[in-house]
Amino acid sequence: LPMQHQHKLAQLEEEKIYSLITELTNPANREQALVELSKKREQYDDLALILWHSFGVMAALLQEIVSVYPLLVPPQLTGQISNRVCNALALLQCVASHSETRGLFLNAHIPLFLYPFLNTTSKTRPFEYLRLTSLGVIGALVKNDNPEVISFLLSTEIIPLCLRIMESGSELSKTVAIFIVQKILLDEMGLAYICATYERFYAVGTVLSNMVNQLVETQAVRLLKHVVRCYLRLSDNPRAREALRQWLPEPLRDATFSQVLKDDMVTKRCLAQLLVNLSDNVVTTN
Amino acid sequence: PSTQTSHHSPLPLIDEPVTNLGQFITINPSIPGAFANQGLRKLVHMAIDRAIREIITPVVERSVTIAGISTRELIIKDFAMEPNEEKMRNAAHLMVQNLAGSLALVTCKEPLRISMANHLRTLLLQNGFSEQSISEQAILIVVTDNLDLACTFIEKAAMDKAVPEIDDSLASSFSNRKKHRERTGQPYYDMSVYSGISRYMSTLPEPLRLKPNGLLPQQLRVYEDFSRIPRISNQAAEIYNDRNVRPSMLRGQDFISHPYNPAEMTFDGPQTQMPITAHQSLEKFAQ
Repeated sequence: LPMQHQHKLAQLEEEKIYSLITELTNPANREQALVELSKKREQYDDLALILWHSFGVMAALLQEIVSVYPLLVPPQLTGQISNRVCNALALLQCVASHSETRGLFLNAHIPLFLYPFLNTTSKTRPFEYLRLTSLGVIGALVKNDNPEVISFLLSTEIIPLCLRIMESGSELSKTVAIFIVQKILLDEMGLAYICATYERFYAVGTVLSNMVNQLVETQAVRLLKHVVRCYLRLSDNPRAREALRQWLPEPLRDATFSQVLKDDMVTKRCLAQLLVNLSDNVVTTN
Repeated sequence: PSTQTSHHSPLPLIDEPVTNLGQFITINPSIPGAFANQGLRKLVHMAIDRAIREIITPVVERSVTIAGISTRELIIKDFAMEPNEEKMRNAAHLMVQNLAGSLALVTCKEPLRISMANHLRTLLLQNGFSEQSISEQAILIVVTDNLDLACTFIEKAAMDKAVPEIDDSLASSFSNRKKHRERTGQPYYDMSVYSGISRYMSTLPEPLRLKPNGLLPQQLRVYEDFSRIPRISNQAAEIYNDRNVRPSMLRGQDFISHPYNPAEMTFDGPQTQMPITAHQSLEKFAQ
């Protein structure tokens, strides 16, 4: 009977998952288990809960993370070791994404163990992949607009780390990094934090403006969308708005990007709104 | 052994010279005129000493704090049904020491390298060594040769400080177990944790499940593995090799250590005029 058959399959699949998770706690079998589990992580909704509540699994994943530290400086990460730790990060991303484990994950401060990866600068593929995957975990945390996540991140060095990647990372890493900064800005506390001192605003503004200048060359539309959104959000803050009146890069004011944004109504509207917000004629109510 | 809890354990040696490092300092004999020069050895010692003092406090504090929080949360969760506080304490010590040591090491290495080179350069000039007699390259060699030594010192400080702090933060978990055992002799449950995990307990296979009578030896091994985390790069390579990395991978080009120049690796794009570096922006955010 098909129903029975399906049930049987699901049961087998679940047993397989449990046995792979058990393998994670054994260093000798961990690498293979990481490969297979990270492939299955989309298929099984409760994986995050099982990973968290199983004895020793989070501890084992943390061991995978810190074991790579000695290979960061000087840069000695091979493709295979990078893959292995990225599979462990993929499972942490799963825990970071799930609403029932996210708070526990933050409470245990586990994201901070990823910061040494974000702090690397080697341009080789194993390092690019490691940074991108680590950003993915932070990206999963900020995705749901949770103020607790933002307040946790603001107590850490995530913004400077993201800014550096926005400046010098691969296009994909830049996109995830600016996504994180955008999510922080969209939060009230995040916007207030970044605009609280001129130095912070200046750090963010400078990196955004460098990105605009790079975008004139690369025309990467996906990044451009995020840049426009970040500027638009900054313009919600009165002091930042004042500063941006002088600072907004010229290519956003003239028609430089009109061709790239031809089919993107939403971003075009954001850009128009930004220019309206910055126009001198608008009288702000006091 | 380390069961006493001191609330304010001072950082070791922070206000006195790092005296015991002197004998471990290496000076490569190829450095011109430096061989057997006791004056140089003394200056290298001073440079290491100053560089360590500059960063040890913030690095150790941060590493110990983060490692302590992660350890506390995971240990409380994993040992929720473990009645024996000594097993719990032992696992907590292994975990917190090694996490704090690893974090301290990865955080201090680069700042220490830069600071050691700066101090050594200044000390050499102040003590009559001209730039001709000791080249910049020679300075970098001395720094590279002694970097692990300096890092080990900071790592050790973090590991030492982490232990009494975790004993402190888990003190009530330990004493609750002891009291419970003495009063009732019944299996222990940390109810605050157990209520959250009980619904998984029936479905999880044996090795992943918490047991009413405490954890099994093979479960405790997961925490013992924290003591096998590599700290220096060739150790790390060996461990990966031991486990399941094919040796051919290690001989590949990827594994040859790169000549290291962080300043050049950071911003080598088309954007030449960089008004602000990541390091500067970090400082600005710290304000």
